[in-house]
Amino acid sequence: MAVNPQQEELRERAVVAEAGAPGVAAAGAPVRQTSLWRDAWYRYRANRAAVIAAVLFLVLLAYVIFVPIFSPYDPYEVNFSDAYLGPSLAHPFGTDQYGRDLFTRAALGGRISIGIGFAATIAIMGIGVVYGSISGFIGGKLDNAMMRFLDALYGLPYLPFAIIVTQLFQTVNFWVMVIALTIASWFTAARVVRGQIISLKENDYVRAARAVGARWYRILGRHLLPNTLGVLIVFVFLELPGVILGEAFLSFIGLGINPPKASWGSLAQDGRDVYLAHPSMILIPSVLIAWLILCAFFIADGLRDALDPRTRET
Amino acid sequence: MTKFVIRRLLWTIPVLLLVILFTFLMMRQIKGNPFRKTERAVPASIQANLNRKFHLDDPWYVQYADYVKGVFTLDLGPSLVLRNQSVNDIVRSHFPVSLELGAYAFLFAIVVGIPLGMIAALRANKPADYGAMLIANVGFAVPSFLVATLLIYYFAVKWDVGVPTSGWDTWQSKILPSIALGFFPMAYFARLVRGTMLETLQQDYVRTAKAKGLRPQRVVGLHVLRNSLIPVVTAAGPLLGAVITGSFIIETIFAIPGIGRYYVNSVSARDYSVTMGLTILYAVIVIFGNLVVDILYGFLDPRTREART
Repeated sequence: MAVNPQQEELRERAVVAEAGAPGVAAAGAPVRQTSLWRDAWYRYRANRAAVIAAVLFLVLLAYVIFVPIFSPYDPYEVNFSDAYLGPSLAHPFGTDQYGRDLFTRAALGGRISIGIGFAATIAIMGIGVVYGSISGFIGGKLDNAMMRFLDALYGLPYLPFAIIVTQLFQTVNFWVMVIALTIASWFTAARVVRGQIISLKENDYVRAARAVGARWYRILGRHLLPNTLGVLIVFVFLELPGVILGEAFLSFIGLGINPPKASWGSLAQDGRDVYLAHPSMILIPSVLIAWLILCAFFIADGLRDALDPRTRET
Repeated sequence: MTKFVIRRLLWTIPVLLLVILFTFLMMRQIKGNPFRKTERAVPASIQANLNRKFHLDDPWYVQYADYVKGVFTLDLGPSLVLRNQSVNDIVRSHFPVSLELGAYAFLFAIVVGIPLGMIAALRANKPADYGAMLIANVGFAVPSFLVATLLIYYFAVKWDVGVPTSGWDTWQSKILPSIALGFFPMAYFARLVRGTMLETLQQDYVRTAKAKGLRPQRVVGLHVLRNSLIPVVTAAGPLLGAVITGSFIIETIFAIPGIGRYYVNSVSARDYSVTMGLTILYAVIVIFGNLVVDILYGFLDPRTREART
């Protein structure tokens, strides 16, 4: 049956509107859609902790992005006469064992840590969306098999598994870390997406769309996936702390990104050897990690309340 | 119920086989032949002998079957780097230490985390709640290597209260590592208990209990606490993984001779058979941890039995 896609859309929209779906009413889709996001924005703004967290998050991002650009110091130049300087105006975070400015190096380390964090989280979401929507949408035996497979993967211990994946490569660089952390932790995302797809599938507007003959890709792309978007955005900020901590742990035990590049985890490792004489060297990268994680955490909280008030957590 | 337990037990066998297969295939990808890349060239005849000794000429599925047989008969093979040491020896001498550390960490997490969560829920939106949640949120976000370093810095060095900075022999030496490792689960429990308890406090049966004049302590002890702790049991599964991850850090920092530190060393030393054996040991722990949690949950909340096999 060859149906003109435009016709199909019109027909579907009429039926969907009749079925009483929110979002696509007589006013037309675009207007309602902006109002959904504006609603979310208002709700987010009302959450003071989330707003502060977002501002602090932006401050951290600005520090990480701009400081290396404007810094007068070369982050890799060795200068032993300046080794282990304490915090001062010239070096707000002091210097490390090679006399390198820690204010600059911590910012560069932040680029790597946050970069790995976001890249891995996005990859995790990508795999999760594909795997979860195939499993949830098709259902039946395939769904069962795919979920059993996931159950089995849950038996893999997270950090050892990530370590083994890094060992598959000759050197450990940015992308190897992203791959290792992604492979070791995509399972939960797949489960979350599958759960969403399954619960959305039962909605009246999806049935209506199906009844008027919408194809599977249309149902998935138009009705199911856009509705998981809110959950996915929240999930990014929920997943980010775990990934960033995983990277920090790997770097801290010396199995992370190779020097002279440094992430917050490897900076903390440098500081670990001299924590008695120079406690600020381990303190600063650790506090930056905690800063980022707390921000992500409260942002996720605010986003969840804003995007889906029904699932408000106590 | 018996049927549920048996089904759940049988299900762990294919899971274990699959996990071993993954680990096995990945380790093969890394090593190829462990004796070929040594600094000295090995004469061909010795190479052949080594290959025969370690069955390296067999096709991969035969090696896999051999390895699985080894795992199920509790023989994880020899170490490739440490002469005259098998992976079993390493597990036997170092695993009890890690187990003890993990147990103390969980104990600390439960003993401190659950009351903290209870206080926060019962005094919701009051200073006590804010204080408890501040501790919990900090514990949630601060990486364990900082917690460990701060504990050492203050308790072992600055104030010197009689705890050593490293090692694992006297009871004093076990305090700081256990707290450092248990800090994250503690924060997790506190947050979780607060959330579930606030939810339980809203339930009708709690209102009924209050309405019929039960004393507040009894309402909390009898109705609220019991029903709030069920979700805590499920959290123990994922937390097991977090504790394993944390043990890598804590054992390295405190120089504790547990398998976490051994694992890190085996990776650096490219001792593949140890890495693989310990990975599978961890997998077994995680799988059986989840099994126990599932069965326990089935007992505590009968509604989940059907849905969860």
